[in-house]
Amino acid sequence: MKINVSKYTTVGLVALLSLIIFVIPYSASLEYSLRGKFGKGHDFTNYLWIFHQDGFLSHLSLSLELGLLAGLLNLVLMVPTATFLHLSLQRYKPVVDFICILPLMIPVVSLAVGAEYSMPGFLQNSQFELVFFFVILALPFTFRVLDSSLSSIPLKTLVEASRSLGASWPATIVRVIVPAASGGISSAFFLSFALGIGEYTITSLLHWDTFTTWTVDVSQQNVLGSIALSTFSFLFAVILLIVIALVSSNRKKKQKELEEQS
Amino acid sequence: MSIQNTVPESAKTRELGTSRRQLRLPLPLLPFFLFVGFFLAWPISKVLIASFKDNNEKWTLSNYSPLFHGIYFHAFVTSIRIGLVTALLGAVIGGLFAYVIDAYAGPRLTSVLDSIAAVFANSGGVPLAFTFLASFGANAGLIKLLKSLGWDLYAEGFSIFSFIGICAVYTFFQAPLMVLVFKPALKGLRKEWKEANTSLGGSSWTYIRKIAIPILFPSFVGSFLLLFAGGFSAYATARALTVGNVPLIPLIIGDLINGNVISDKTHLGASLAIGAIVIAAFAMSGYIWAQRKSSQWRR
Repeated sequence: MKINVSKYTTVGLVALLSLIIFVIPYSASLEYSLRGKFGKGHDFTNYLWIFHQDGFLSHLSLSLELGLLAGLLNLVLMVPTATFLHLSLQRYKPVVDFICILPLMIPVVSLAVGAEYSMPGFLQNSQFELVFFFVILALPFTFRVLDSSLSSIPLKTLVEASRSLGASWPATIVRVIVPAASGGISSAFFLSFALGIGEYTITSLLHWDTFTTWTVDVSQQNVLGSIALSTFSFLFAVILLIVIALVSSNRKKKQKELEEQS
Repeated sequence: MSIQNTVPESAKTRELGTSRRQLRLPLPLLPFFLFVGFFLAWPISKVLIASFKDNNEKWTLSNYSPLFHGIYFHAFVTSIRIGLVTALLGAVIGGLFAYVIDAYAGPRLTSVLDSIAAVFANSGGVPLAFTFLASFGANAGLIKLLKSLGWDLYAEGFSIFSFIGICAVYTFFQAPLMVLVFKPALKGLRKEWKEANTSLGGSSWTYIRKIAIPILFPSFVGSFLLLFAGGFSAYATARALTVGNVPLIPLIIGDLINGNVISDKTHLGASLAIGAIVIAAFAMSGYIWAQRKSSQWRR
């Protein structure tokens, strides 16, 4: 009995805390974003406002494009790297581990300064330079995810089987490793994709205009609209992640059941 | 998502390579090293070089002297204070959340809460600033409600464009980040230890004091340092919130390279950038040390 009482007080305390810190502010911002014209009544005016702004579609598609490219480049670069680190090149793992933590050590502002100093002109003149830096900034997260998902599959056996059956290295990676570690690979992709879409610091310091920086600019004319936009993106991200989490936990459950049956 | 286990099994790996093989270039890793070299090492080394050059491209140390007095020193101190305060708040609140999630939530609820924490932690930045404006701006419902209850925050000098305001905003991404980085450590606490404690006659207080705290302490410190580095160098939220009221190092560096101030100060921007790296790297080496310390309890 005694344990139960203390359990409920702890949970209750934390629930109260989360109410104060998270639920109230976010409901406040939801309420705020639903206010009608001139602050009268509640409707969706502010949510529709953003669609009518010049450049909405072009900036959104640019951000999606950059995020997509960052996600892909990240996979092309890191899946083979992580694979080889697990196979024959294990002794380089400490080095790669350390390098992948560096983007957390180096303030993004400092990296932006460096980019201005060092990137060759043709890159500085192209918005695609951002893709490379998004990949760098995502490294601490994506490498961790890939690394742990590759350790959870029998990588060595799979590669040996595939290679001894005559598959080339690229074929092995694309047709054996990618399907086997699909969970980790897709979350690595989404991590860098999401980072690319939401990145503000390096984008604005390198004078590019993506959806995020554009939002900040237009929001200066309409605070309510910008709050609506961020509330929307917030809810959207939360719901998307919850769906992904539930689907993947369902899949794991099914896999377990299958394994137990066989 | 989590940034765990920086320390690999280096002892095991060393046995694998013969001396002849060690001399060979790790060809499959070449793309990675080239990429990181060009987009990470090269930019940073350019900043480092620029920070020691004057306007006539001569070597000098003078770019570093403003870092130790006057407004730039003050900005460093403010940024460090923000980092410390928000990391402490985030670590305590987030640690508590992590503990409750780990102890009481089922696997399904855990994955939902993890997702929410991930969104909160990564939404640091512009959306967060706007949300905060909505909640705590002078016109917000909450502030009005408190006012009608007789508590006028703004009359008491509160403002989100102040030190306290920034601390409050940052806590919104620091606490969820803490949940993400600290929860794996809690998972490392094995049930057997608790059982061993009970069967040896220890109370739950002895368990907390003699087992849980010593084992979790390095992870807690490590997470705190990670949070500090993030809070110290956060740019987007600060940019969207403050209109230059609070001097923060990331904002100042941004202004300097954007040419919002006199352009012959770009070398100062470089030395400030290096200063920021030194402080963040200092915290992160502590983080790596703590990870190493705590990983000995895993597996």
